[in-house]
Amino acid sequence: MSKRDSLSDIVIVDLDVHVNDTPTELAPYMDMPWRKSLEHVSNVPWRYLSIPGYSPNFAENLPLWPGGNDRLTVETPAQMKKELSDMNIDIGILFPDHLLGVAVLPQKDYASALTRAYNAYIVDKWCDKEQGLKGLIMVAPQDPEGGAKEIEKYANEEGIVGIYLPCSGLDTLWGHVKYDPIFAAAEAAGLPVLLHAATTLVPHFPFNLHQYETFFAQHSLVHSFSMMANMLKMIETGVPVRFPKLKICFTEAGVSWVPFIMMRLDKEYVENRRDIPFLEHPPSHYIKKFYYATQPIEEPENAKHLIQLMEMYEGENTTMFASDWPHHDFDHPRKVFNMPFSPEVKRKIMGENALRFFDIDATGRRNKFKVGSTAK
Amino acid sequence: MEKVAREYVVGTVEEFPVGSHKVVKVDNREIGVFNVNGEFYALPNLCPHQVGPLCQGKVSGTLVANKDTDWKRTWDREGEIVYCPWHRLEFDIKTGDCLAFPDIKIRSYNVKVEEGQIKVW
Ligand code: FES
Repeated sequence: MSKRDSLSDIVIVDLDVHVNDTPTELAPYMDMPWRKSLEHVSNVPWRYLSIPGYSPNFAENLPLWPGGNDRLTVETPAQMKKELSDMNIDIGILFPDHLLGVAVLPQKDYASALTRAYNAYIVDKWCDKEQGLKGLIMVAPQDPEGGAKEIEKYANEEGIVGIYLPCSGLDTLWGHVKYDPIFAAAEAAGLPVLLHAATTLVPHFPFNLHQYETFFAQHSLVHSFSMMANMLKMIETGVPVRFPKLKICFTEAGVSWVPFIMMRLDKEYVENRRDIPFLEHPPSHYIKKFYYATQPIEEPENAKHLIQLMEMYEGENTTMFASDWPHHDFDHPRKVFNMPFSPEVKRKIMGENALRFFDIDATGRRNKFKVGSTAK
Repeated sequence: MEKVAREYVVGTVEEFPVGSHKVVKVDNREIGVFNVNGEFYALPNLCPHQVGPLCQGKVSGTLVANKDTDWKRTWDREGEIVYCPWHRLEFDIKTGDCLAFPDIKIRSYNVKVEEGQIKVW
């Protein structure tokens, strides 16, 4: 049996693919007066994930080299379906592209309006337009109450399977109690939350990133540092204890940081447990219950080391394949599939864990919408 | 679990007023004896973390936060918790339970008071 045949034998869910959410696309869904602003920036030339007045990432100051990655975008559900099918991916979870950077926008009303426009757009233009394309409701960290309302509004939308928490350039970390309305709404809606970062050069995020002078360096740690910072904040305020039914996934950071942060926090817990007395167990207990998306999967010389890393956080039920298509650093499913996992663990990581995480069936249908379902 | 073979007199009640504790030697063992509100307890003077002298630590209360306290930190269990002087792991004097790691519990010795004498075994 060829490798390709093996890939097509199993259900593959891709936790992270990106739609090209340009200002032109979003403008019709945008509230006034902000629609005027989007129409205005529609013709502004832009670089990779960076549009002034829309999705600034403050990273335009490095020299550009020929031979770098071409910018790929996905413009339509049909294009996405074809490109994912070519990789044997059955279900793709849609994230925005430009609005990965929404957290840096200083105007609360504008940021909030952008997320509302995106949510209306993703439901109207993408979700379920091809089988297996499922969307996430995004919330603006600038407006927790508005975010909670958006979650309530779309809680019963068939094409929506979770909540995207923007992390790029985020100052007040997820886990701060001001975000409690978002976590409460997500938990009540039975929708998991997914944290996702991208490179954004602001001094507070996520530790001196602006000091690096190459994209190599900026891009190397931004995602993992961001995930660690947010995870620590969530543990510090007891999110997994206070919202026990909420499922939380950390994306686009690989997995090798998980054993590190788990052991680091358990060590600190020895001395400082009473700072966080609401935890009923050491931090590792909760970290082992969080979910993790694989991309960018580590590629150690000895592939068994990756297996060992995952064993450290007991990740066989909580690790989920993600490609990050169509970004420059995407992983083909074959890369993860060919890691020396047992066949059973392979099936879990490539798809079964994600079906459970989102509570969907192999066609992407939410179990709570099944006829006769009594699910929450 | 190994036990001290026989009863040892470790002091008189007068030597252990309410809220006090001290480490006594029994054969070659060091045992912490505690008077918590008139009840006596005894724990090994040996922290399971990195073998610190657990019972030489302070006795105090601890912070509690849960649904009942509306997730607010409250001070509770005054006099019932001993803190290891090395890395400050907390132990419940009455049960030997480690507050940070529910899987860890240290042994407790038996204690009784007879004719004003405190006996441990
Ligand atoms: S030796 Fe007791 S806390 Fe480390």
